[in-house]
Amino acid sequence: MRFLKLIRRNLFRNKLRAILTMLLLAVIFFFVATLLAILDNFESFSNAGEGANRLVVQSAISLANLLPYSHEAKIRALPGVIDTAKLQWIGAYYKEKSNFFANFAIDVDKMPTVFDDYKIDPKEFAAFQADRRGALVGVDLMKRFGWKIGDRITLKRQIFSFDPELTIRGTYVHPVQTTSVFFPMEYFDQSQPAQIRSEVGTFWVKVKDPKQMAAISQQIDAMFKNSDYPTETFTEKEFQQNFMSMMGNVKLLFTAVSSCAIFMVVLLAAITMSMSARERVTEIAVLKAIGFEQRLILGIMLTEFILLTLIGGTLGSVGAHYLYGAVDMGKVTQGFLQNFGVHARTLAICLFASAAVGVIAGGLPALRASNLRVVDGLRRVV
Amino acid sequence: MDTLVDINNVRKVYKRDAFEVPVLNGVTLEVPRGDFLALMGPSGSGKTTLLNLMAGIDRPTAGSILVDGKEISRFSETQLASWRARHVGFIFQMYNLIPVLNAAENVELPLLLTKLTKKERREHVHAALGIVGLGDRSLHYPRQLSGGQEQRVAIARAIVTDPTLLVADEPTGDLDAKNAQETLDLLQRLNTEYQKTIVMVTHDPKAAQHAKRTLHLEKGLLVNGYSLDTMASA
Repeated sequence: MRFLKLIRRNLFRNKLRAILTMLLLAVIFFFVATLLAILDNFESFSNAGEGANRLVVQSAISLANLLPYSHEAKIRALPGVIDTAKLQWIGAYYKEKSNFFANFAIDVDKMPTVFDDYKIDPKEFAAFQADRRGALVGVDLMKRFGWKIGDRITLKRQIFSFDPELTIRGTYVHPVQTTSVFFPMEYFDQSQPAQIRSEVGTFWVKVKDPKQMAAISQQIDAMFKNSDYPTETFTEKEFQQNFMSMMGNVKLLFTAVSSCAIFMVVLLAAITMSMSARERVTEIAVLKAIGFEQRLILGIMLTEFILLTLIGGTLGSVGAHYLYGAVDMGKVTQGFLQNFGVHARTLAICLFASAAVGVIAGGLPALRASNLRVVDGLRRVV
Repeated sequence: MDTLVDINNVRKVYKRDAFEVPVLNGVTLEVPRGDFLALMGPSGSGKTTLLNLMAGIDRPTAGSILVDGKEISRFSETQLASWRARHVGFIFQMYNLIPVLNAAENVELPLLLTKLTKKERREHVHAALGIVGLGDRSLHYPRQLSGGQEQRVAIARAIVTDPTLLVADEPTGDLDAKNAQETLDLLQRLNTEYQKTIVMVTHDPKAAQHAKRTLHLEKGLLVNGYSLDTMASA
């Protein structure tokens, strides 16, 4: 604490340089925080169904291929299966394509058993069940569009040849997934041409014992292996991860880009810190002459350099936290990033990384300064 | 008077790439407590090296240096740093104040290494600045002070811990005649009024006149002091 004033004054001795360095760090760490937050967002999406004991059955050919309703009864009859529900991705949007969000047709009556992690007010659920064109909407999506229960909304087609006209009957809360719309499978079926009326994209299977999930998964696929509609069954987490992997190895790409950005900032910070240390050779020699020990000089300089990078990193990552808190990224990214934000874990990583940049970039200049011989420092003309 | 600094047959050789440059060739010298000694000599004669050795910021190649009875040439770097903090005050030609700290903060620097409280440190700083006549400039930064004032702040920094020994390397070398005179008067006052032992390196015979005695160095040897080499070759 005694040396805090000296550290603070040295930190801002060249104000322009210090501010520019901090701004550079802030920009880089804003960028890094954003990339990590996107990864975090994908990760939380992938983990959405963790612990829900659900399997997802899709066509072995591709997710775009449909499965016959007749599979459902056979799956439900398997030992260890509690219940099943049909779920169809609709892919419609609201008013404009930029207002995109996940929307599904679902077996409404099966929601309480298969999707028991979705919290719904019983009265609202009863109203949803009673209305063939009713909609159940995630709380965050309600906020995004300012919708109220009873509002009528029309979604516009993209994949299937109908525009769902829905009345919001209730909302749901979920730890991760809060920006979707569900409406009755019955309404979807009746709007479709006869040839696909009895087919669906996925069956969601609620399993009694999580330890049995692998075995049940194999049983399901084995059962339909030689049929016209072979299946591929995943845990919900695997299914979400497969869905995300359609975008390629985003995690590797983002991690590589973040690492490059941090490496670049280490080099730039090292240049700044070396300049700063060089300018102070005589002063450091004077401090050593009057009794400042080598370790103390090292500590003072490293603290200064770490503060420099930490302030920059804090500005960038905390700035990103508040910016994404204020801006609806779901809207900006046309539904790509839902519930997006820089969370505590990402903030902690960024702050730790920015301090590490200070140690790595400033370590050598600080060490050289602290090892300086007093007579050499006093003789040096900078 | 008892001896404060006892330098015995000290040699110093600097290595410059493949070459060895002898700077001190066996200097023996005693500085009594309360002395004000001026070291004179041409450039390269070894004055500053001798001063650095007795101040503990450089080490001899051979010989021994005792200050206040302690063989400082055997101290480790950490021990030397701690010893300097308690026993030596430095006055440099270019003042060497820290530009980002004001006068009071510059003077306070050596006290940060002590266990004094903030209040006690402030009192010491006030007293030191009072002695050098700059009590009213305590909040001024070095760039806001004249050369003479900067050197007086540097002297306050040197005396604030009440050191055993004050070393001054060309303290008037960068000052005009008036400020040089004031600085020398101040050093003289520190010696006479406060009994500070001062060793000053200077090129200026007028500056040396303020000291109680003057020794000359030439080619690494004391020409009017004791040198074992000199005696041996005599």
